[in-house]
Amino acid sequence: MPVTLEHCLILGAVLFCIGLLGAFTRRNAVVVLFSIEIMLNAANLNFIAFWRFSDNPDQLHGPLFTLFTIAVAAAEVAVGLALVIAVYRHFKTVDLEQLDTLKEE
Amino acid sequence: MTQEITFWVLAVIAVLGALLAVRRRNLIHGVFALMIFFAALAGLFLLLLAEFIAAVQILVYIGAVGILLLFAIMLTERVTGDDARDITSRGSFWGWAAALAVLVFLLLPTIQGADLPQTVQPINPSVKALGFKLMNPYVVTLEVLALLLTAALVGAVAAAQGGEKKKEDAGDA
Repeated sequence: MPVTLEHCLILGAVLFCIGLLGAFTRRNAVVVLFSIEIMLNAANLNFIAFWRFSDNPDQLHGPLFTLFTIAVAAAEVAVGLALVIAVYRHFKTVDLEQLDTLKEE
Repeated sequence: MTQEITFWVLAVIAVLGALLAVRRRNLIHGVFALMIFFAALAGLFLLLLAEFIAAVQILVYIGAVGILLLFAIMLTERVTGDDARDITSRGSFWGWAAALAVLVFLLLPTIQGADLPQTVQPINPSVKALGFKLMNPYVVTLEVLALLLTAALVGAVAAAQGGEKKKEDAGDA
């Protein structure tokens, strides 16, 4: 049985949920950032898989969209990490549980 | 057959890498596991004949994002983390529950047996075609993306420097 679209999509779903788990359960801001990267990569895998199994792959929609996603993700990481460093300067922690200034006491 | 074995090996590496990245207490180990995950995904892209995307994946993710994450970790918290402190947040049970619920929801079509295309069309791998596509119909997108990257770069530098400048001003006064 060769590799089918289902295999790729199930793998993408599992990876996406691992990223979601990290974003929901970890308290370090950097780990939450790279959980988001895992989710974006899972989505990229879906784009490429759907492109590979599409009727006219010569249109190259999958790789083009993935290329744009990767560029946006790179911009997101740069800004996100700069924000994490700025938050660390201000609060001396990147623990998301302690960054609750906006919450009413 | 070879293709299938490659797929399964890469899939297992990717899932294990992602799990380790998300669950390790030591953040540096986590980033290295994340790099392994990125590499496995680049392998999967190669397997699906998207060779340019695989190269970009390695260049951008392992080369740039991984190193950037390492720097951010070294510039912020204690790397290994305090053993006494819990790495999971309060109410993490609901996090697990939500992630599992989303997984089941995403797998619903497969469980119900959705009708997906099974055949693959022949592809002649060509970066040239990709380049022409980027230059002809998608040139505006490409330019907007360049603008976005520039803005992100300037914004990142501004955000990371903001606190320092204020401190210097206070020192002068």
